[in-house]
Amino acid sequence: MKRAAKIVVILLAVLSAAVAAALLFGAEWASPFSQDPGQRAIFFDIRLPRVLLGACVGASLAVAGAALQALLRNPLAEPYLLGVSNGAALGTMLAFVVFGNYVFARPLLAFAGAAAASVLVYSLAKTRAGMNVERLVLSGVIVTTFLSSVIIMLTTLLDAARLRSFTFWLLGDLSQATWSGVYLSFGAAVIATIILTSQARALNLMMLGERDAVDFGVEVGRVRLVVFGASSLVVGAAVAASGAVGYVGLIVPHLLRLAVGSDNRIVVPMSAIAGAAFVVLADLAARVAIAPRELPVGAITALLGAPLFVYLLRKN
Amino acid sequence: MRFSKFKRLVGFALVLVAIAGSSCRPSSTDDSSASNTRIFKDALGRDVSLPRDVKRVVSLAPNLTEIIYAVGGGDKLVGDTTYCDFPEAAKFGDTMNPILESIIALHPDVVFVSTASQIEAFMRTLAVRNIAVYVVDSKSVKDVLVSMITIGDILGTKSEAQSAVAGLERRIDLVRSSVNGRPIRRVFIQISKEPLFTAGHDAYMNEAVRIAGGDSVTSGIPGAYPNLSRETALKLDPDAIVISDNEGNHEPNSAFANSAAVKNGEVFRINADLFSRPGPRVVDAIELIARDLHPEAFEPK
Repeated sequence: MKRAAKIVVILLAVLSAAVAAALLFGAEWASPFSQDPGQRAIFFDIRLPRVLLGACVGASLAVAGAALQALLRNPLAEPYLLGVSNGAALGTMLAFVVFGNYVFARPLLAFAGAAAASVLVYSLAKTRAGMNVERLVLSGVIVTTFLSSVIIMLTTLLDAARLRSFTFWLLGDLSQATWSGVYLSFGAAVIATIILTSQARALNLMMLGERDAVDFGVEVGRVRLVVFGASSLVVGAAVAASGAVGYVGLIVPHLLRLAVGSDNRIVVPMSAIAGAAFVVLADLAARVAIAPRELPVGAITALLGAPLFVYLLRKN
Repeated sequence: MRFSKFKRLVGFALVLVAIAGSSCRPSSTDDSSASNTRIFKDALGRDVSLPRDVKRVVSLAPNLTEIIYAVGGGDKLVGDTTYCDFPEAAKFGDTMNPILESIIALHPDVVFVSTASQIEAFMRTLAVRNIAVYVVDSKSVKDVLVSMITIGDILGTKSEAQSAVAGLERRIDLVRSSVNGRPIRRVFIQISKEPLFTAGHDAYMNEAVRIAGGDSVTSGIPGAYPNLSRETALKLDPDAIVISDNEGNHEPNSAFANSAAVKNGEVFRINADLFSRPGPRVVDAIELIARDLHPEAFEPK
């Protein structure tokens, strides 16, 4: 495990550098040690929670993506493709429409939406003969497009002012980061990373094929349930806090596998760290690229993620 | 993204409200002999040939609908969008129809359109059917007044338009003279609370605030309605916040929690329909903002 330790050190160094850079730069100059209360407010009330929220959201989406890819033995498995993100987005929207600004309704309904989407995909894909991977991915596509159309319908029925904030939010936006949002997504990210890492050995065996995994004593059904449950939790929390930031769950685990191989005991927990660094840097770009104006972070992750993904596809 | 335009686009992408009452028989015959038509230059610099006697018009923007009524041409309006909610008579009901088909079915002499990026294809389609499109671009309060005169001219109600404009000019002058000499307030215009959008360089609202004795602190930022960094918003620390009051935009963004404006209770809500539509009611918004920013200037002596 000497190599694993080295990777941990490198990734932690990258994450620290990313966080440091993100705290140093912004639309305005702000030092935490400044005598000026305005600068301290910018640093502590706006920038710090936003950077930390970005880290939690990135960790959440990447760790969920890594675990889902291993579980489904499909490199395209991602919270998006399976409809988990859209389930969470729909839940958040309903919370907004029905419960207004009641803060705790959003993550709760987002989790409910993500879990409902997971269960729906799971039951659509399950046959008497067991779980078929192609069928699962197809079910994911169907659920995703169905939920997308419900979301589009809702945004159309809402009035223009709400439509505006939703279109923006659906792209992924960290600008309204609050400390309560940080605590919530930090909790969700840590819990989910621990749970999903605990399944890593089983996931390794399942990558050989489910029948082989059963022979090795893996309770395949239970692993599936735990992975779906934990990823719903973490994706729900992330989407409720920041909308649907795309490509993180796809790109980060892929890059890691290229660098360190496909041992899930390393890929799953390290995805959390690398995902955190990725979103923190993407959001830094979103904040400073056209300052004092801003871009939604989801636009940056997609901008970086899509070409990177094409490159990976061609290289393999 | 320019949201007022975006809103208009949504309006015309989705729905065109058709008609009440008036019969649908084609109006002007296609007689384009010189004596029966006049040429008007529109905001795109095009020469639009219109019948001397315009009888049926369609408006595809709420501000243009308001202008048509303000200049006394309301009886000629045969169709508009669902966003056209003022005056009451402009609400034609709620029949949803694909836009182009509805417009063609209304046989208008002219369709009034506000500048937006996607109108070109739309104009070509209407041109094939010999329906004239007149484009209006109101980038300032003065533009609003000028377009009122032109639209009045097109509709054959020029004198009514002139007296309406004169009335608005008097009210603007009164505001200017009332706030004249008062300290200029540093104003933040909030278009959307979360995410935070404000009025940038190209927004005509800066001018409305200026007339009312304020200086829009974001008027140097590029774009019409930029998404502003909350860090910058906090740093700007405005004296007053003018909120374009709309669904989801009633309170100042949390970045302003410790600003002078919030601490001193200098947060003012102005109905977005008055403030964000470049139409005649922007003068109502100017008066309200002036009274909010400089209440002492309007106290009876």
